[in-house]
Amino acid sequence: MQVRKNNYTVNMTPTMQVLTENQIEAIYYAALAVLSETGVRVYDKEGWDLAHQGGAVVEDVQADSALVKMPSWMVDKARATLPQRIRVIGTPDGDGKRKYNMDLYKNTMYFGTGSDTPFTIDPYTQVRRRATYKDVRNLAKLAEALPNVDFFMSLGITQDTAVGTYDRWQYLAMLEATNKPINITAVDIEGLKDQLEMAYIRLGGKEEWKKAPCFSLYNEPVSPLSHSEEVIQKLLFCADNDIPIVYTPCPLAGATAPATLAGLMVQALTESLFGIVLSQLRKPGCQVIIGGLMSAMDMQTAVYPYGSPEMALLSAGYTEITKWMRVPEYETAGCSDAKCFDEQACMEAAINISTAAMIGGNMIHDIGYIEQGLCSSPHMLVASDEIISRTKRILRGIPVNADTQALDVLDQVGPGGHFLGHDHTYNRFKTENWRSALTDRQVYADWETSGCKDYQQRVQERMVEILEADAAPLLEPKMYQELRRICELADARHKDEELDVQMFV
Amino acid sequence: MSEILVQLSEAIIDGNVEDIVDLTEEALDDGIPAQEVLNKGLMAGMDHVGAEFKAGNMFVPEVLRSAKAMQASMDLLRPILAEAGVKHTGKLLLGTVKGDLHDIGKNLVGMMAEGAGFEVKDLGKDITPDQFVSAIKEYQPDVIGMSALLTTTMRVMGHTIKALEEAGLRDRVKVIVGGAPVTQEFANQIGADGYAPNAASAAELARKLVS
Repeated sequence: MQVRKNNYTVNMTPTMQVLTENQIEAIYYAALAVLSETGVRVYDKEGWDLAHQGGAVVEDVQADSALVKMPSWMVDKARATLPQRIRVIGTPDGDGKRKYNMDLYKNTMYFGTGSDTPFTIDPYTQVRRRATYKDVRNLAKLAEALPNVDFFMSLGITQDTAVGTYDRWQYLAMLEATNKPINITAVDIEGLKDQLEMAYIRLGGKEEWKKAPCFSLYNEPVSPLSHSEEVIQKLLFCADNDIPIVYTPCPLAGATAPATLAGLMVQALTESLFGIVLSQLRKPGCQVIIGGLMSAMDMQTAVYPYGSPEMALLSAGYTEITKWMRVPEYETAGCSDAKCFDEQACMEAAINISTAAMIGGNMIHDIGYIEQGLCSSPHMLVASDEIISRTKRILRGIPVNADTQALDVLDQVGPGGHFLGHDHTYNRFKTENWRSALTDRQVYADWETSGCKDYQQRVQERMVEILEADAAPLLEPKMYQELRRICELADARHKDEELDVQMFV
Repeated sequence: MSEILVQLSEAIIDGNVEDIVDLTEEALDDGIPAQEVLNKGLMAGMDHVGAEFKAGNMFVPEVLRSAKAMQASMDLLRPILAEAGVKHTGKLLLGTVKGDLHDIGKNLVGMMAEGAGFEVKDLGKDITPDQFVSAIKEYQPDVIGMSALLTTTMRVMGHTIKALEEAGLRDRVKVIVGGAPVTQEFANQIGADGYAPNAASAAELARKLVS
């Protein structure tokens, strides 16, 4: 019997395996070697000073950066205080309860969207265009309604707001329509501070945040092996303020990482280990989620493929490494390189979601991405919710025991009988069999009578139905005004930085 | 056409970095003018590479190997061409704008442009508008190419163009922009001369702008 994983089934879950334990260890110790012998470049003096005080060798100090080499004992020491479990709980409903609990540790699994795409597909015209505040709010409303979306990332940049302060507006748009945990992005430290202030207001105080934060921060070092000033400053701020950090590089095999997938994983782990060590030097117990988006460059188009089998495979392999390390993980699935919600989009999402589920990633993001992460699709979001649901049925496995083997039922019905009218069927069919309103299984004539609707049409209808459903506002007018004021104050502080041209919309 | 020019052309197509220098020397020793070596040997090869890449028969690492072979040969030809007063394709100045450390796309543009015959000066990443301005004064490029991956840093492209205008340099260079979130529309808005969606077309665009 398996005793591994997953928050909705305790055992007997079907699993897959990419790496053996020996392979995981080989990658881990290789990453330690890279961190101590090749080192990483740090573009922040406070960052390299902190590493130096903690025992790192700092070499080749330039005006803007330094090479930091960390002996392996620093990683051992950091891992001793690195949390194995991190909770992010959403914002309160009208009754004051925070019901969406994301409890990240080795055997749990949560799905969520991706953030900050420049483009989105209009839900009605289905035309690709720049994303706006309203789009982010709409997509958050969809995520709030979809039962298999556990956390939210913006799925669009609010490009009808100022470029230097859009992050606050984007957060407000999300808070307007979802109470689920959010993985935010921040333009800079000031943007992060403002959003933390908004979260305190939304939760009703800093004490509530201390019980459990309602957001984590997406923070991305630049591959290969570079950590920008902005990224380091965000990491330090998060450590100081108990904000969970998603420290996630996006290496690209053959371009910003070795062409071999194992080499890429060594590099990605080195990048994350540096973040782990620095975070624990700043504040032992600092909450770090590692992982990322990993893929191999398409050598025809030079793009970053999100729907490739290598992406799914790397993501799965990396998940095994993080489970072995017992550090919460950020995985990738539900995304595609297709330019619209078509067969390719569904195929790629179905394969990478089921791979992520079978391996059992913790915080699986990028549901709803198409066009290599440059565009979000509300259709893809709705379809992926169904794919996740379908996959969860497979994960429930086939319990085999005296009851489920149903020998007594077989004996009662006997040769030549049927089971349709049996109590056993009546009592079990709903839990044994997966069903979805989106998947069509009608006979041809009935399908014809019901309008010959293909999957795209059914998804479109479901999406519009959710978008147009009446929903009580999640923010009271006074709360909305308080949050909005922080956005407006930020705009006022930054009004001189914008260009004269209307940048985006 | 001379056999040696065909061999040069094939060496470019095969990305034969090892033999290209000897072949170039041999061609020059045979008395073939440098300009002819360039046009009928190297560029003939690169044109073939470009066409095969477009058709999906050659891939980025292969194209870059061809560009590398081209550069190795150009190192020999450049001084001779300069002495003869032959104008090179052009000078391209590249940089990822201030606040952005993402440079893989920009590097790719640089390698592709070298393959197209450009002399490329790459300023690197996190380049301020002022750094672009002084680099333009120093290197006198025909084209500058700016790159950004983030929507927050995209606007620095606009700031840089403004800085060029203020420094009175805008008319002296063509400006091209690129990066994942950048579009033609955005390039128009900030007053760039061109936008390319990928590295190969960026090199092509630069070539068009200087011809």
